[in-house]
Amino acid sequence: MDDLNVKNPPTLKQFVPTPPRPPRQSKSGIFGTIRQRCFNSIGNSVLTLCVIAVLFYLVKHVLDWAVFNAVFIADNRRQCMDISPDGACWAGVISWFNGLIYGRFPVDEQWRVNVGVLLGLVWLLPLMSKRIPLRNVILLSWIGLYPFVGAYLFLGGRFGAELGWVHGVMTCLALAFLTIIYANWILSVWDKKGLNELFVPLVSRFVERRIHLLSFVAAWLLIALVMAFALNQVSLEPVAIERWGGLFLTFIIASFAITMAIPIGVVLALGRRSKLPVIHWLSMTVIELVRSVPLITVLFMAVTLLPIFLPADVEFNKLAQVLVAVCIFAGAYMAENIRGGLQAIPKGQYEAAATLGLGYLHTMALIILPQALRMMIPNIMTSFISLLKDTTLVSIIGLFDIMLMARNIANDKDWVGMHTEPLVMISVLFFLFCYSMSQYSLTLEKRLKVDR
Amino acid sequence: MIQSSTSKSQKSPVKGAGLPSSATQKRRSLLNNDASRAVILQAFVLMLALFGLWFLFANASENLNRLGMTFGFDFLQVTAGFNISWSLIPYDPSMSYLRVFFVGIVNTLILSFCVIVVGTLIGTLVGILRLSENPLVSQLARWYVEIVRNVPLLIQIIFWFTVVFSTLPAPRESYHLGEWFFLNNRGLYVTTLQSAVSWGWVLALVAGFILLLYGLLRWSKPYYALSGSRSSGFYIGLVVWALLAGWALWFFVNAMTLSVPTLQGFNFSGGAYLPASFGAAFVAMTVYRSAAIAETVRAGMQSIDRGQHEAAFTIGFSRVQSLRLILIPQAIRSIIPPMTNSWLTSVKDSSLAVAIGFPELVSVFMQTSMNQTGRAIEIIFMVMGFYIFISLLISYLLNKYNDSVQYKVR
Repeated sequence: MDDLNVKNPPTLKQFVPTPPRPPRQSKSGIFGTIRQRCFNSIGNSVLTLCVIAVLFYLVKHVLDWAVFNAVFIADNRRQCMDISPDGACWAGVISWFNGLIYGRFPVDEQWRVNVGVLLGLVWLLPLMSKRIPLRNVILLSWIGLYPFVGAYLFLGGRFGAELGWVHGVMTCLALAFLTIIYANWILSVWDKKGLNELFVPLVSRFVERRIHLLSFVAAWLLIALVMAFALNQVSLEPVAIERWGGLFLTFIIASFAITMAIPIGVVLALGRRSKLPVIHWLSMTVIELVRSVPLITVLFMAVTLLPIFLPADVEFNKLAQVLVAVCIFAGAYMAENIRGGLQAIPKGQYEAAATLGLGYLHTMALIILPQALRMMIPNIMTSFISLLKDTTLVSIIGLFDIMLMARNIANDKDWVGMHTEPLVMISVLFFLFCYSMSQYSLTLEKRLKVDR
Repeated sequence: MIQSSTSKSQKSPVKGAGLPSSATQKRRSLLNNDASRAVILQAFVLMLALFGLWFLFANASENLNRLGMTFGFDFLQVTAGFNISWSLIPYDPSMSYLRVFFVGIVNTLILSFCVIVVGTLIGTLVGILRLSENPLVSQLARWYVEIVRNVPLLIQIIFWFTVVFSTLPAPRESYHLGEWFFLNNRGLYVTTLQSAVSWGWVLALVAGFILLLYGLLRWSKPYYALSGSRSSGFYIGLVVWALLAGWALWFFVNAMTLSVPTLQGFNFSGGAYLPASFGAAFVAMTVYRSAAIAETVRAGMQSIDRGQHEAAFTIGFSRVQSLRLILIPQAIRSIIPPMTNSWLTSVKDSSLAVAIGFPELVSVFMQTSMNQTGRAIEIIFMVMGFYIFISLLISYLLNKYNDSVQYKVR
C-alpha cells in the first residue's frame, strides 16, 4: 500500500468512497413482516384494511348469531323465538342430533351402530403398526369380511330366519379372523409365537406341506366355531333396512361404494390400457358414458330401470339399487384415477417384469398394481371425499340420509320451519370430515413423494 | 408368488415335451400364441357383453309385456298438459312432451352457461388472490375455497334457497332499485327492452357490425405491421363504421319500448322474471364452481417455473404486467384441461337444481314427464343422451382449442 501511494503523483484525484448508506429498515420480526407484506404500497394497505373490515363484519355477525344470541335449551321453536329472536336455535338441532347421526334407527339399538363402526376402525388399527406382517391381507379381510359383521350388527335378527346361513357363517369367520389378528398382535408385542403357531405340532402330524397355512386355517375354524356358539346365545332385535339413515347411511353408502369402486376401477383401467381393440373400446365406452352423465340421472336410472331390466323375481330394496348406481358411478371415476397411476409407472418396471418371465396377470398383480395403488392412496382419499359429498344426492330419491333428516326437522311440529340451523349443522359436520380427510391426504401425498 | 410362477413356467415346456399328444399340443399352442389368444379373449369378452345386453333387454321386454307397457317415442307428440314455472322458450300446457324436453334443455343450458361465465371470472380472481403476497388476502381466499369445496353442493343449493331466497320479503315489500328491478321471495323482476323489430334482426345486425370492424382491422393489419401506425384509410373506415353503427343504434332505440314490472294484486306483471329457484341454484353453483376453478388456476399458476417470476421481476415488470404478459399466457396451457372438466361438471351439476324445483331437464322431463307417461326407458335414454352429447361436444371443442395453444415444437 505504501508503495502505491508513493508512486501515485499527488496531483491526481484520489478515490474517496462515498459514506455507507444507513442500514435498511429491519424486515425481520413480526412488525417488519407485516409492514412489508401488508402495507408496502397504498393499494395494498387499502386492500388489507378492506379485508380486515370484511372479516370483522363476518366474524362478528356469525358469532352473534351462532353463539352469543343462540338458544341451546328450549322445548320448541316458539320458546327459542321468545328467548332470542335473532339468534340460532340450537335446541332443535340438539334434540334431533341422534336423528341426524343414526336416522330412524330404533333408539335402544343405536349402540349397535356405534359398535359396528368402532369394530370397523379397530379392524383397520393394526395397519398402523409396523410389527404386523401381511398387512395387505388385513386390508383385504376388512374389505371381504368386515361387511358381514357390520351388516349383522346393523340388521340384527337370527341366522336362518331373518338372515341367511351363509351370512352367519361369514360373520363367525370374520369375528374369528379379527380375534386372530389381535391375539397375534398382542402376542407379538411380548415376542411370543402367534396363535396359529399353537396348531403347528398338531397339523404337522397329519400333513407335510403348507403346515403354517393349514394351522392358521385350523385355528381360524376353531375360533369361528366358538364364535358361532357365542352368537347363538345372543339375539339382536331385527331392524328394517328402511330405518337406516342419517350420517350413518351416508357413510355406509360412501364407504361401500369406494371399496367396490377400486376393483371395478382396476378392471376398467386395465381394459382401457389394453392393446386388444374390443376390450379397449368397451372399457372406454363404459368409462366415458358413465362419466359424462350426472349422478342424479344414474340414481334415477337405478331406481326406475333396474326393476325393468332385471328378471321379475329379483327384488332389490332401494338401498341396494342406490348402491349399484353409486358403485358403477364411482368405479368409472376411479378407473380414470387408476389409469393416471398406471401411467406414472416407469416403463422399466414392465420390462423388468417381462424379463423375469412374468405373464400379464402376474406383472399386473405383483409389480404394477401394488405400486400404482400405493401412489394412488391420496387420490383415492380425494375420491372418497367427493363421493361422501355426492352421497347427499340420495336424499332426492328419498333415502333418509343426513340431508333428508336435516330437511325433515322443519316438518317436526315442535320445530316447524327451522331450516337454517340443521343445514348449518350438517354443513359444519361435512366440512370437518372432508377438510380433515383432505389435509390428511395431502400429508400422505408428501410422505409418499419423499419415499420414492 | 414370484418363485412359484417362474417355477411353473419352467415346468410347462418339460411337461409338454413329455406328453407328445397332438391334440393337447395344438390346444396349448393356440392358447400360447399371442395372436390367437388375443382373438379368443376378445371374442369371449364381446360375447359376454352381448349376452349381458341381450339378458337385460330380454328381461325388459318381458317385464314391459307383463306390466302392459309399450316401448316407443310416440309419446313425444302427446300433449303434456302441465305447467312449467319458468321457461325461456315459449311454452304452455297444450304443447307436446318434445317441447317439454326442449324447455328442460334450454333451462339447463342457460343455468349452466351463467354459472360457467360468472364462476370462471370469480374463480380466476380468487385463484390469483390466493397467490397474493398479502397474507390476509391469500388466507381469506384460501378459506373461501376450503369452506366452499368441503360442503356438498346440494346442501349449498338448498341453503341458498331456503335460508336466503325464500326469506326475502313478499312481493308487496320487495327490495327495489328505482322502479326497474324488484327482488322478492318469488324471484327477480327485471325491466326489459321490447323492440318492434324482432330480436333476431338486432342480433344479426350486431354480429354484422362486429364482423365489419374485424374486417377493417384485418385489412389494415399489413400496413400496421410495416409502419407501426394505422393508415388514414383505416381512420376513414372507422369513422364511417361509427356513423353507421350510431345510426343503427338510434333507429333501434326509437323502435324500443321499456317493459316495466308493476305490482298487480299479489304479483308483478310485465318485464322479465327470474324465479327464486334460478337465483338460488345460480348463486350456489357459481360459488361452488368458483372455488373449484380457483384451485385449478392456483395449481396452474404454481406450475410455472419460479425463474419466470424472477425474470419478469428482473426486467422491471410490475406485478400486473408480469401476470398479464408472462405468467397467465403460460399458465393457460396447464389450466385449460382441468378447466374444461370443471365446466363439464357444472353442466352436470345443474341437474341438482331439481332439489329446489327449478324446471331444468331432470326436473321437467325425468320427474314430471316420467311420472305422467311412465316411459322410463325412453326418457332416461333421452336425458342421458343429452348430457353425453353436451360433454362430448365441449370436450371436442376444447381439445381443438387446447391443440392450438399448446407449445409448438419445431
